[in-house]
Amino acid sequence: MVDESTRKTLSSIPLLQTKAGPRDKELWTTRLKEEYQALIKYVQNNKAADNDWFRLESDKTGTKWFGKCWFVHNLLKYEFDLEFDIPITYPTTAPELALPGLDGKTAKMYRGGKICLTDHFKPLWARNVPKFGIAHAMALGLGPWLAVEIPDLIEKGVITYQEKTEDAK
Amino acid sequence: MAPSTDWDEIKRLAADFQKAQLSSTAQRLSERNCVEIVTKLIELKLIDVIFTTDGKEYLTSQQLTKEIKDELYVHGGRINTVDLAKELSVDLNQINASVADIVRGKEVQLVSGYLIANYYLEKIAREINEKLQLQGQISVGELTLQYDLPAELLQHNVLEKYLGKIIIGKQDSSEPRTFYTEEYITRTKAKIRGALMGLLKPTPVTVIINHCNLADRLFMSLFDQLNAPGVLTGRQAGALYVPSCYTKSQNDWVVSFYKQNNYLEYDALSRLGISDPKGYVRRIFPNEDIKFLSTCAIGSQIMEQLETALEECVISKSYLDVVSLLPSVLSSTDIENVLDSLLKNNSKSTTLFDNTVFSNNYIESLKQSCMSITQKKAEEAVKSGKYQQFYLEKQLSKSADHSQGQVDQKAERREERRRKAASGKGGGGTQGRETKTKAVKKHQRSSKQAANDSDSDDASNVTKKSQTTLEIITVDDVEDIIKETLENEGLDDLITQIAEYLQGSLNQTALSIAKETADKLLQDANQSRKQTHSSSQDKINILVNDIKLYEKGLKFFPPDQQTQFIKYLLKTLGGDILAEFCKYAANQCNLSVQVDDLSVEQRNKILKDLSDEYKKPLAALNATLSEQNVELFYQAVDVCLSECGMILKKVDKKKDKILIQNHREKLIAELENCDDPALSLHMAVLAIFTIVTQNMLHASGRQVPAIMAYLKAHVKEDHFEQLQQCQELVTKYLTAPEEEKADFEDKLKELLPALKSTVQEIKKQK
Repeated sequence: MVDESTRKTLSSIPLLQTKAGPRDKELWTTRLKEEYQALIKYVQNNKAADNDWFRLESDKTGTKWFGKCWFVHNLLKYEFDLEFDIPITYPTTAPELALPGLDGKTAKMYRGGKICLTDHFKPLWARNVPKFGIAHAMALGLGPWLAVEIPDLIEKGVITYQEKTEDAK
Repeated sequence: MAPSTDWDEIKRLAADFQKAQLSSTAQRLSERNCVEIVTKLIELKLIDVIFTTDGKEYLTSQQLTKEIKDELYVHGGRINTVDLAKELSVDLNQINASVADIVRGKEVQLVSGYLIANYYLEKIAREINEKLQLQGQISVGELTLQYDLPAELLQHNVLEKYLGKIIIGKQDSSEPRTFYTEEYITRTKAKIRGALMGLLKPTPVTVIINHCNLADRLFMSLFDQLNAPGVLTGRQAGALYVPSCYTKSQNDWVVSFYKQNNYLEYDALSRLGISDPKGYVRRIFPNEDIKFLSTCAIGSQIMEQLETALEECVISKSYLDVVSLLPSVLSSTDIENVLDSLLKNNSKSTTLFDNTVFSNNYIESLKQSCMSITQKKAEEAVKSGKYQQFYLEKQLSKSADHSQGQVDQKAERREERRRKAASGKGGGGTQGRETKTKAVKKHQRSSKQAANDSDSDDASNVTKKSQTTLEIITVDDVEDIIKETLENEGLDDLITQIAEYLQGSLNQTALSIAKETADKLLQDANQSRKQTHSSSQDKINILVNDIKLYEKGLKFFPPDQQTQFIKYLLKTLGGDILAEFCKYAANQCNLSVQVDDLSVEQRNKILKDLSDEYKKPLAALNATLSEQNVELFYQAVDVCLSECGMILKKVDKKKDKILIQNHREKLIAELENCDDPALSLHMAVLAIFTIVTQNMLHASGRQVPAIMAYLKAHVKEDHFEQLQQCQELVTKYLTAPEEEKADFEDKLKELLPALKSTVQEIKKQK
């Protein structure tokens, strides 16, 4: 199950109402609006809690998303690229988040850097269609994955800190 | 239009999203950072703060003090420092440090981990007062439990401080930890008074206290203020309350009982709850002369009564059964004690048997009634020789004392064993009294076995004593005599005892009587011995004289005939002399001679028994009798006489004549009275011989013809013929057969007067 803080975070993200995929023209816009609203809220919440951990933007149609996410371990910030597409069957199918930088570095990952989400995530998502959106996927999927995997990977020496690589941003 | 607006909106939202993502991250410091920063600051001693136990808050010490004070107020003025630490989530050490600051301010004090403000104490005082008013009584101990505060604090800082201000009541002077209200005291007093008034018998104080639900101490202190109708036996918890009405009724009962009965039983007194009866009686009757015995006290009245009765008994010469005059509760030892003291003055005139006092006079009268039999028995004893035998044995035993000692020892040991056995039996016996009384007294407790025992005792005593005392009169004898008298008086059970008592003195009397009698007898014997001495001497004198005279007479006969006469003379008169000697000697030797005339056998027997001094001469005399020599006989007689201390009187010639005359007259007188023809002839012949020869003759009938032959020459013819005829007839008569005797007798009888007259005639002629 998800832990207490995750649940708390989750509950503060507004739920979505429209069940529509990218093919559904009119309705997709509505859905996309709701996605944005949820994401804004989630980011705002994160910032308020001093827990900002990703940057995300999409193309015009809102079917392709990309950005960065980071994790602070021992006062060092490890940053990774993040990208994913909205699948055709969305929102029935959850988006497959991918960290291409970590591809081949951990067993808990599919080809192309798609993270291997926990057994809990998928049923949880299935139960909450169409209420869950991208924001939920981030909070429920990537957040816990990073928290578990990154310290492990750092420990193994798979990942090393890169001094100020993205500082320009 | 709609889709375009939608897309615009989406764009705008995407922009917002970006804006939201880029805007506000930088300025926010996370909690973690803050903690780190503050820790750093504290490390650098730039700030002085206290952090809470959960580490989420920081406090300055001023804030802590303030918070503690607030907490204290919130908790009503009392709070535990540990609770405070929890409440404020501050380390206990920090709390303690700031508490020390707070306590310095005098408003608050720290008592065994509690912070206590003065207003809290005031509040308690108020509560206590309420409680006190409600209960009437309160103790520090109780409060200590209730408030969980030290007694010391409550005592000094609350109760005593606010007493009279907030707490309205009174401190117990004897117990400073207890406080009362006035009403409570009054109420309690009333309660106690009520209880004490109601009590009629001695009651333990604890019972009263439990009943009234009071404290010991309070009861004791209040009791003194109450003027209670009674007294306490002590100040301890185990004391008794004795109501005065009880004491009074107790005293009344004792006094009235004593007045009525004149004695007091200790048991009865202790049943009334008097623990020291003797002391009590002494206290109640300080002026009375009371005698204290083992189970009761007796008043002087009873003693006086007893004394009077005793005097009366002495005067009236009767007896007094003490038991009937004494209260029935007295034990036998008590009775003994009373009697002891009573008889101390009077013992001379009384005798005590069991519990009955007899005046000596009464006993004396009983004794008197036994005197006759005593006398009789004593005399019997003397007569039968028992006494003399006993006396002799006693004499003997003195010499044999040595050997007897052993016997005595043995006897004593046996006695002792018997006594032990007897007392042992007594101890296990049915009557407790028996063990108390002396062993001597057991006799009158006439259970059969005891009686048997005593009998056997007596028997053994007799056998044992037989060497020291002779029992002339036995207990049974005495019993028989006094039995009737005593039974009439209803004193059956004392018979044996009295009899034993009497027997002792009676036996003594009997012994003395016996002794007297025996002495008298001895004296008599001595006197008679003296008399026999002279009479024997006289008799022997006479006999010797007679013999001499007869000897003279027989000189008239021819010598060949003389031996016959001498033989007869010695045999008869000599025998008499010997008999006389024998009698005398027997007397001297204390041999009893009952008969006056001794046969030859008797003489011989006596001779054998005689003591040596007499035996020899008398035996010699006896020997001379069988010989026909008068001279020898005389010599033997002389020896005997000297041995017997007798003398032979000189023969008086004149007296001889008178003797002969007397003899002659006697013969004639006898002849006159004689009817037997043979004897008449014999006497006539002897008389004529005496007349003719002026000498006496002693001859037997067989010698009559010899005398006749002699007389033939001296008497007239016709007289002789008559004698001749008479003699023939007598000879025939004596030799004749039985059937013819009557004829001759008749004839002789015819001749007798003639014969007698012949003798007279011859006498006249001379």
